[in-house]
Amino acid sequence: MTSITSIKQDWLSNPKGDALAGIVVALALIPEAIGFSIIAGVDPSVGLFASFSIAVIISLVGGRPGMISASTAAIAVLVLPLIRDHGVEYLFAATILMGIIQAIAGFLKLDLLMQYVSRSVITGFVNALAILIFIAQLPQLTNVGWETYAMVAVGLAIIYLFPRLTKAVPSPLVAIVILTAVSIYAGIKVNTVGDMGKLPSSLPSFWIPQVPFTLDTLRIIFPFSLTMAAVGLLESMMTAQIVDDLTDTPSNKRREMKGQGIANFLTGFLGGMGGCAMIGQSVINIKSGGSTRLSTFVSGVFLLFLIVVLGPLVARIPMPALVAVMIMVSIGTFSWGSIKNLRSHPWQSSVVMLVTVLVVVSTHDLAQGVVAGVVLSGLFFASKVKRLFDVSSELSGDGKTRTYRVSGQVFFASSERFADAFDFKEVLDSVVIDVSAAHFWDISAVGSLDKAILKFRREGTHVDVLGLNQASATMVDRFAIHDKPGAEAALGAH
Amino acid sequence: MSRILACIDASTYATSVVDLAAWAAKGLGVDVELLHIVQRKDAIAARHDHSGAIGLGVKSELLEELTRIEEAAGRLAIEEGRILLDAGIERLKGHGVTVSSMHLHGGIVETIVEREADAGLLVIGKRGASGQFAMEHIGSKVERVVRASDKPVLIAPREFKQTPRSVVIAYDDSAAATRAVAMVAASPLFSGLPVHLVSAGVREPDGHDILARAAEPLRMAGFSVDTFVDEGKPEQVIPDYLMANADSILVMGAYGHSPLRTLIVGSTTTTMIRTVHVPVLLVR
Repeated sequence: MTSITSIKQDWLSNPKGDALAGIVVALALIPEAIGFSIIAGVDPSVGLFASFSIAVIISLVGGRPGMISASTAAIAVLVLPLIRDHGVEYLFAATILMGIIQAIAGFLKLDLLMQYVSRSVITGFVNALAILIFIAQLPQLTNVGWETYAMVAVGLAIIYLFPRLTKAVPSPLVAIVILTAVSIYAGIKVNTVGDMGKLPSSLPSFWIPQVPFTLDTLRIIFPFSLTMAAVGLLESMMTAQIVDDLTDTPSNKRREMKGQGIANFLTGFLGGMGGCAMIGQSVINIKSGGSTRLSTFVSGVFLLFLIVVLGPLVARIPMPALVAVMIMVSIGTFSWGSIKNLRSHPWQSSVVMLVTVLVVVSTHDLAQGVVAGVVLSGLFFASKVKRLFDVSSELSGDGKTRTYRVSGQVFFASSERFADAFDFKEVLDSVVIDVSAAHFWDISAVGSLDKAILKFRREGTHVDVLGLNQASATMVDRFAIHDKPGAEAALGAH
Repeated sequence: MSRILACIDASTYATSVVDLAAWAAKGLGVDVELLHIVQRKDAIAARHDHSGAIGLGVKSELLEELTRIEEAAGRLAIEEGRILLDAGIERLKGHGVTVSSMHLHGGIVETIVEREADAGLLVIGKRGASGQFAMEHIGSKVERVVRASDKPVLIAPREFKQTPRSVVIAYDDSAAATRAVAMVAASPLFSGLPVHLVSAGVREPDGHDILARAAEPLRMAGFSVDTFVDEGKPEQVIPDYLMANADSILVMGAYGHSPLRTLIVGSTTTTMIRTVHVPVLLVR
């Protein structure tokens, strides 16, 4: 009952808008699939088949209706060394393994890890991705004649100005059609898609990658598969978040992870490279009125139609036209507000964002950038929280007892300050450490309390610890030495 | 019995829903909760921009624009809903019924199912506002509500002019039909009304046996019972019977078949709700 209801909702709530949006998106998938196949060093068919297969499969099994997944820049830039050193068959095998890893990650509920990825890291990721897409266009723009630059400029002008005339047709399509027609008619000498490699002339077919099924193969592909899986899931989760925000509807992230896994697993067998969700194309989809699974499905099917039926024409598309579309995708992906925010946001979050971008741009690996960003934001968080800590003290009237009052958060980052707060040189009969307003978070905190107590006792001072609250008490009970019976016997009563 | 949940929207059915709820509330001696659900306009579908060009700050601009569209439509919908609810409350008070109102955001089916938890009876219109012009069609949401609900559902026809003078029970010997009979026998709403037990699609002698058995609890409860058996299709027999008895209320068990089967062959329940012009009480 619910399933039929939700199937209707997921597929048929807005068929006309979804179909149109799907077609618009298909046109924006072609440049990315072709462009990044070329960058990865494989035939355009590898990227195009992957885009078709991933889009169609994810529309059926994904967890975020309205999100577009296909062969992406983020994955393509990772696999270049694998293809260069071992060949394209290893790419297919790595894609299959990538799918398996992603599905396992879904079952392990690793989507929960996303809550440790801060907004600054996400912004950094998005910006880095946009920069990667832009950098990837540069080879097409170096050592070429002025015609290429002119065509890119005209292409961009059409893309951004044509919508002022009418929004009924996709302006990237208009740009591609006009530039193709002009270049054929005028015989302009620029690179075309056909120059870049073979386009598919048939439907994709089932294909078992021709790699030896040995441990050595696994050793070669596993690191790639792992990074591909991580980057794919990261981009997919972030894109899902963006689509969630835009549509104001929830998504099933875990199902999306498994869905990405299934899509990549099957795509590997169809002779496709791995892919994931695409931020730019998903935004295009929503903007064009697509919001259900149908638009993703249509984008995949229409893409296949374009390349199989209109293949000969697609081969004559000048590369500058696709470069223009990819520059548009790059511009649309980049978070321009983040540049303005550099001044207004806390410097720590700006540093996290910039470090994420820098690590990605220098390694071409989005996963490394995210790890760097997450670690850095964790450090910044710890350094902020450690300031929520204070020790005050007062001497009793007779000058024999000093009471230390500890308040705030005591953990690894603040434990040193905790230890420094006590004056062990002062001659006293007894010391009271009142921690009723403090939280002891970890063994470093407990260790430093222990150390302070032992130090006082070595000076012959009696120590009382007051008000270990519940959270601190559990930590002390479990880890502290001074509280355990054995330690007491060995060290004497305090 | 706990209170009655009456769901209204901007369709012409709102008045008859209110009147029917008032009739049931008085018969049962309970309160009415009037529910109107504000549905979100789908801003994404409302935009007509197939340019596919994404430029500077597209994400924030798009989010801003979608929010603006939905915000404007939402305000209007809230205002409309308030007027509807106020009119409904007035009308119910005029009938002398105690009424409270509920104005919620959300999906129609999900919200009704959520709110019906502490209600004993659900009253909805045969069609919603979006189905205004599709004559003789049951609103797609009505069927979903009935399937999702586990309370008896009273479906209001477009016009509810006179209070029912008799009860027609469409009886097919199913568990749901048996429950429908038991409900009529037990409910104060129907006390004193003559009951017609109608069975269709069965052969005469069998049908009379079945109905005789079904009539027993009703007769024990003091109802006067007529039985009627016809070999024709239920989808024709029962509407015909109700044409002849236009001042009655139809009671029947709801949706015996799986949704999958319904998808292929259609549902007797749906056809029946669609073709009759009297209030229908569906018992799960």
